[in-house]
Parts: sequence; C-alpha cells; structure tokens
Amino acid sequence: MIQITNLRHRLIEIPDLTVDARHIAVIGPNGSGKTTLLSVCSGIEEPRAGTVRILGRPPSAVRIGWVGEFPDRTLLFSRVYDEIAATPRFRNRSCPETDERVRAAAARVGISHLLDAKVSTLSGGEKALVALAAAGADDPEVLILDEADSHLDAGTADRVQRVVRKSAAAHVLWCTQSMDTAACADYVIFMEGGVVRYHGTPDEVFAGLEETCFYPTMWRIRR
Amino acid sequence: MRVDLEDLLFSRGRFSLRGSGTFGEGVHLVSGPVGSGKSTLALLLAEILRPESGAVRRHGISSALLLLQFPEYHITCSTVAEEAGSWGLDPDELLVRADLAGRGDDDPFHLSRGELKRLILACMIMRNPDLLMLDEPFSSLDCAAKRRACSMIEERSEGITIIFSHERAVLPRVDALWEMEGGTLKALGRVPGAIPRWRHAPPYLTYALEQGARPENIRLQDAREALCRTQG
Repeated sequence: MIQITNLRHRLIEIPDLTVDARHIAVIGPNGSGKTTLLSVCSGIEEPRAGTVRILGRPPSAVRIGWVGEFPDRTLLFSRVYDEIAATPRFRNRSCPETDERVRAAAARVGISHLLDAKVSTLSGGEKALVALAAAGADDPEVLILDEADSHLDAGTADRVQRVVRKSAAAHVLWCTQSMDTAACADYVIFMEGGVVRYHGTPDEVFAGLEETCFYPTMWRIRR
Repeated sequence: MRVDLEDLLFSRGRFSLRGSGTFGEGVHLVSGPVGSGKSTLALLLAEILRPESGAVRRHGISSALLLLQFPEYHITCSTVAEEAGSWGLDPDELLVRADLAGRGDDDPFHLSRGELKRLILACMIMRNPDLLMLDEPFSSLDCAAKRRACSMIEERSEGITIIFSHERAVLPRVDALWEMEGGTLKALGRVPGAIPRWRHAPPYLTYALEQGARPENIRLQDAREALCRTQG
C-alpha cells in the first residue's frame, strides 16, 4: 500500500492518494511532476510538507530499487560488474553472496555477456539495462523506474517489462511516455501541472484522455 | 544532394558496423534494437567517427548538424537565450519556436528533459542545414512534444533528414525506411512500398497490415485511414 497525505513538494500537491495495486504507471506531460513524485516515493527527496508511507513505513525505511531516467548520470563505476555489485556491497553482503547476486541480476536482465565490459562503451539502452540489474540486485521491496524505457527499443522495453513483472517487489512504480505500456499497468496515475488529474484502472484513466494524444495507440486503432 | 555510404566498415571491440546505400533528399527513418549501431552510424555519417574502410561521401551538401541522443551534451551557455545566440539565432524567435517563451533567462540545465530536447531541436531546425541527423529526437518527450517535433521535421521542405529512432507511437511522415540489425544497415526502400518489410514497425502499423490495410505512410493517422478504406 502506498499512502500519500497532504503532500506538497516543489510543484506537486497531492492532498490524499492511496494506491493498493502492484504495477503502477505514472503518466503525464513533461514537467507535470512525475519525476518529483517518484523521487519522494523513493526517499531520494524528503517532502517539504506532508507524508508518504509505503508498506506502512517512510520510504527511507523501505528497500527500494531505483532506475533513473538518465543512466549516464546514475552509473558510478567504470565496469558493469562493479556497478551491479555496488548494491549488495553497499549493504555489506559477503563477497561470494555479492558475486552470486550480480550474476543472477545480470542474467535476469539478459546482460551476462556485458559483465566485464566498460560502462563507457555501452549504448544508452544497455546502460539502462545495467541500471535495472543494479536496482534488482538486492531483492528490493519496491522498484521505481523513472522513464527507464525512454531510451529502449521495443524488444528491450518488453524485456524490461518482463523482468519487472517477475520481480518479487510488492510495488513497481514507474513513469513512462509509452501509453501502450501504461495501458498494461494495474493502476494508472495521470499527473498534470503538479496535481493528480486522474487515477484508477487503465480503463478509468484513459476514458478521460480519449481526445488527447495520451490515449494508447493500440486502443485507438482497434476502435 | 545526397550522401553515399560505400562499403562502410567500422569496428570497436566486439562490435562491427557495415553499411552501403544512398540517402537522398527527404526524411529517412533508421530503426533498430538497442546496441545495433544506430548512434555509431549517426557519428559516422556526421564524420565524427572515421570508418576503418569504405567511405561516407557527401554530394552537394554544404552544412550538416547532428542532434545527440542526450541533449545535455549540446549545452555551451548558462542561459537559454545565450544558448540560442550561440547558434546565431534570434533568441525571441527561437523561444517561441521551442515553446519556451519567457524562459530566456533560465539555466538550460534547469529545463526538463523534454524542454531541453525541444530547445536544441528547434535550434537545429532553424539553422536549416542541408544534412540534419537526429539521434533519438523523440525519447523522453511527451506525446504533445513528439507531435510538435514531428511537425518541425515535416516542415523541412528541402535537404536530407535522417532520424535514428526506436519511437513506436508518434512518428513523422517519412520518405524512406532503413533498419540496423546486428551492426548491418539495411535499406528497406521508399514508403509506402517498404512498410510491409519493416520489422520494427510500431504495433498499430503491424495491426493495420494484419487487417489487410495498406497505409500510405507510417503515422497512426495513416494506419487509421488505411483501415477505414479497408473496412469501409
């Protein structure tokens, strides 16, 4: 369960929102506050006012895996192996356990062949996959992806969706500009100008967006 | 005006890229999976990378610009207006074009991703180069901004525009399709003839083809119109 009460932070203002769904898509125009909401839910930023509770705890007390929008900015280590290993290492896992987790996380994402590669030689999409493997390397309770699919082709984006669907996380909160992807979520939050304009099942939310380009292309073509 | 790729070969580590073909005037879309070499091809076409063998030959082209996938790399000034000035453009006109009116004094790094992309894309379109190469011009943009970018691209009435993209929902009208697969560039030919051969086609286009429709171009509206013609 994600509970937001009287939240005011930067441009976002959410008086009351409770979401009890597993796969939650956050959508909306550029600059509508999606990334800010995800930052607060991940514990990266403390809200100026109000509270966010995830699984009954503040976000900083929840084990969260985060994949940012700009993999170039969030990758810290020069070798893929070390980047993924950072997650278990920072949690003081033993060397053998770290190695096991790194290999398992890389295999899940399909980048085992890149473990010895230098991060600087990877394509933008491959960097996003490394960030996803690092986020999943220590059994996160909640996975948060900030437009991680922006730099991925369809095949890779599907791979990310499959990995995310199989993860044991209680919640997967992601924002995307692909409405066809958002249409597959359990719950959709549409933000505009810092407020939650619509929230509910994909059917409920997209019913309010039918006249806009935010309506999924596959729904439109099948009408 | 054209760019010829003559038996281009480029290798880096395990990866090698091969390509031959001619990019004539009009809008070209090069699609392909992550790591297939789209960005490398863009750098080769921009003559930032040199091929191991073969050549990129430009004919009748006096200016060229490459939009990088991450627009941060283009920023050289500390305000949006100065950035426009650094391109030799009138800041006011540019701000209107990029839908950033009133933001001239902002630090470009304080713009959102979509805003920054719009700023740099608008600068390039307004410079109107003979050869314009756009590496993932739509990534991180919302659908309204993607549409705006598409219409800016479609407004270019002359020159060669090459778009490297994996976009699957909002696309511009294009003249020719290309695919990168495992480092090899494949020319699919001119639109609409090339559409049924396009393996990376967006789902709405694939759906329309499966229904027996023959879209005239690759946009959602082309697919819908073709379906209407088929289904009456």
